[in-house]
Amino acid sequence: MHQANISRPITDPLTTSPSSIASAGLSRAPLSTGERAQVGGLVSAGEATEPLVHVDNLRIHFPPRRAPIRVVEGVSYSVARGETLGIVGESGSGKTLSSLAILRLLPRPAQIAGGRIVFEGEDLAAKSDEEMRRLRGKRIAMVFQNPGFSLHPLMTIGAQLSEILAVHERLARKDADARVEELLRLVGISDPGARIRQYPHELSGGMKQRVCIARALLCNPSLVLADEPTTSLDVTIQAQILELFEELKARFRMSMIFVTHDMGVVARIADRIAVMYAGQICETADASTIFSDPQHPYTRALLGSTPRVDQRSTRASGFRLPTIGGSGPTIMQQGDGCRFATRCPEAGPECARLAPLPLAVGPRHIVHCLKRGSAGEANHA
Amino acid sequence: MRLTIYIVRRLLFAFLLMVGVSLIIFFLVNAVGDPIELMMAETPGVSAETIERMKVHYGLDQDPLTRYFIWLGKLLSLDFGTSIIYNQPVGSLIATWGWQTFKIQVPAILIALAIAIFVGTTAARRQHSRTDFAVMSGALLGQSLPAFFLGILLILIFSYTFDVLPSYGAYSTRGYLWGSVVADGLWHMVLPVAMLAFFNTATLTLLMRSNMVDVLKLDFIAAARASGIPERRVVYRHALRVAVIPVLTYLGLLVGLMLGTAPVTETVFTWPGLGYLYVTAIHQLDYPIIMGASMVIAAMLIAATTLTDIAYVLIDPRIRLE
Ligand SMILES: Nc1ncnc2c1ncn2[C@@H]1O[C@H](COP(=O)(O)OP(=O)(O)OP(=O)(O)O)[C@@H](O)[C@H]1O
Ligand code: SF4
Ligand SMILES: [Mg+2]
Repeated sequence: MHQANISRPITDPLTTSPSSIASAGLSRAPLSTGERAQVGGLVSAGEATEPLVHVDNLRIHFPPRRAPIRVVEGVSYSVARGETLGIVGESGSGKTLSSLAILRLLPRPAQIAGGRIVFEGEDLAAKSDEEMRRLRGKRIAMVFQNPGFSLHPLMTIGAQLSEILAVHERLARKDADARVEELLRLVGISDPGARIRQYPHELSGGMKQRVCIARALLCNPSLVLADEPTTSLDVTIQAQILELFEELKARFRMSMIFVTHDMGVVARIADRIAVMYAGQICETADASTIFSDPQHPYTRALLGSTPRVDQRSTRASGFRLPTIGGSGPTIMQQGDGCRFATRCPEAGPECARLAPLPLAVGPRHIVHCLKRGSAGEANHA
Repeated sequence: MRLTIYIVRRLLFAFLLMVGVSLIIFFLVNAVGDPIELMMAETPGVSAETIERMKVHYGLDQDPLTRYFIWLGKLLSLDFGTSIIYNQPVGSLIATWGWQTFKIQVPAILIALAIAIFVGTTAARRQHSRTDFAVMSGALLGQSLPAFFLGILLILIFSYTFDVLPSYGAYSTRGYLWGSVVADGLWHMVLPVAMLAFFNTATLTLLMRSNMVDVLKLDFIAAARASGIPERRVVYRHALRVAVIPVLTYLGLLVGLMLGTAPVTETVFTWPGLGYLYVTAIHQLDYPIIMGASMVIAAMLIAATTLTDIAYVLIDPRIRLE
């Protein structure tokens, strides 16, 4: 079964336009459900039909309940099938927490305080703990920031990976081992037969991250959450891992939420980009639009201090988010207005009072800024 | 291969340590004075000739260094000499009394370990909850309670007030419980084991809990959860494996601590163990027992730490290559 998925014929996304698939469908006999699902997946890659995952007005709070720390406040985005959403934002802007919220794995005492997460048409909040568990690793998988810490130090690579297969699929041991080796080879690990007997500390950082990527892909998930998968690596290794992601993306048309604080990275991998600041989204648009027509002052600040990203530089730039004026976001003391107001070069008096609501300023281009026409809301909570 | 080298090196070190310990024990005991003269000082009227004859009998007329090597040579063939009071080979005394110590110490440590792993893990999973608070306060209280005090408390409650459990000796002197030696032996073990287990549990639980709290925050635990591995498995397979390592290391130390306190704990229950034998030997200046038992206790301590070190390396592959 998995075999079919791994080696399923790859349709080149550039040559197969949605219309050509539709006409192919017309000229043939009615599609089977399976075929329809696959065609549907391909079509929605280019168009905003039913998204794979839809996060709507997500809010994450840390107690105390009476005066919660609102670390994520009203975040919304969608990811279509086959699409990669890049989430960019400074350290502490809530990128990791909003990814973990999708898996319902927020670290205590963080809580989802509001909003909805709909995955493949199902509201995740309505699922039981057991249903959520069966979904993790199988339909939604995650790659963590630091591969050095995200593998079990006392278990061999093979044991860790085949355990996940044992949990999710009924496979004979031999088949499971074969699948593990197949995936390790797929992510560019040579001699996987020997590697599975090794412990994480025997592998380099880049190798470990490849293993983590293989682990995420084991059960062929429909969504991969990649939380800064290159940040902790050396620059050259970063480039290699990024290449691997690009390759996997092209090959399997996997849907991905790729979190980073590196504009250069997101330029290479993302189809759409959401820019986050202090727990809120500032601007969401297709990747090309973000670079060619950034609207939000924060996006502009990011791009202004990012060398050559407008040319979509192929170099995986290793630097962290640029230093822009003012101090970093302090989520602890958030008032009602725009969270960027303290550092925004364009801020006016209303910005400290009113929180900007989303406004579509172009096709698939949403901005939250009072100075770009967004309506303001006096009390966000 | 490195593993073998490590183990060989560690065993060699243990052997050298034993030699050092034997030197210390021998010359320390010697420094106290001539045992025959010390003993005879309390029994007046013994002629100088008799004392001289006794010295020759016990080989005390030779110089200390020669005596040390004679003693060491006998030790190597497991000959610990003859007890002055019991008039029995010290080796067999240590074996029978040592077995009684083993009989209460090992179950106590195993019970404590099992309870500590379960309770400590449960508390860690619910950090800051009421359960956690209760566990912490209980363990802290238990830890600050001296072992002998708890022993006396147990005797007061279960032997004196309710008279359901024996507090004296390893077996009944007249008529076994249900007519069975085994049942009677187990019945006598209850209180001493309970005391020792309680004492160990408190410390081990605190250690287990704090390790578990730390380990559960690590990324590979989040990754295991994010892979859909069931929570019980995440905790008891993935987290426990890492969190238990410091506990096992501590176990080596604990064995030492338990042996060190055995004279006290065994005296409380008049338990015929090595610790009790040691105390009586000191009171009565039975040198062969003092020296033999010291050597055996030291050997057990060194064995415990050596085994812990080796187990530690076997468990954690990261250390294997260093
Ligand atoms: N236990 C906690 N109590 C209060 N605030 C917390 C707690 N844990 C995390 N936070 C806050 O939540 C915010 C979001 O954290 P998150 O890890 O999602 O940020 P991030 O965007 O992933 O940052 P990074 O780039 O550093 O990974 C941070 O500002 C952090 O300070
Ligand atoms: S709303 Fe005001 S403070 Fe916020 S980004 Fe726009 S101009 Fe700046
Ligand atoms: Mg993060």
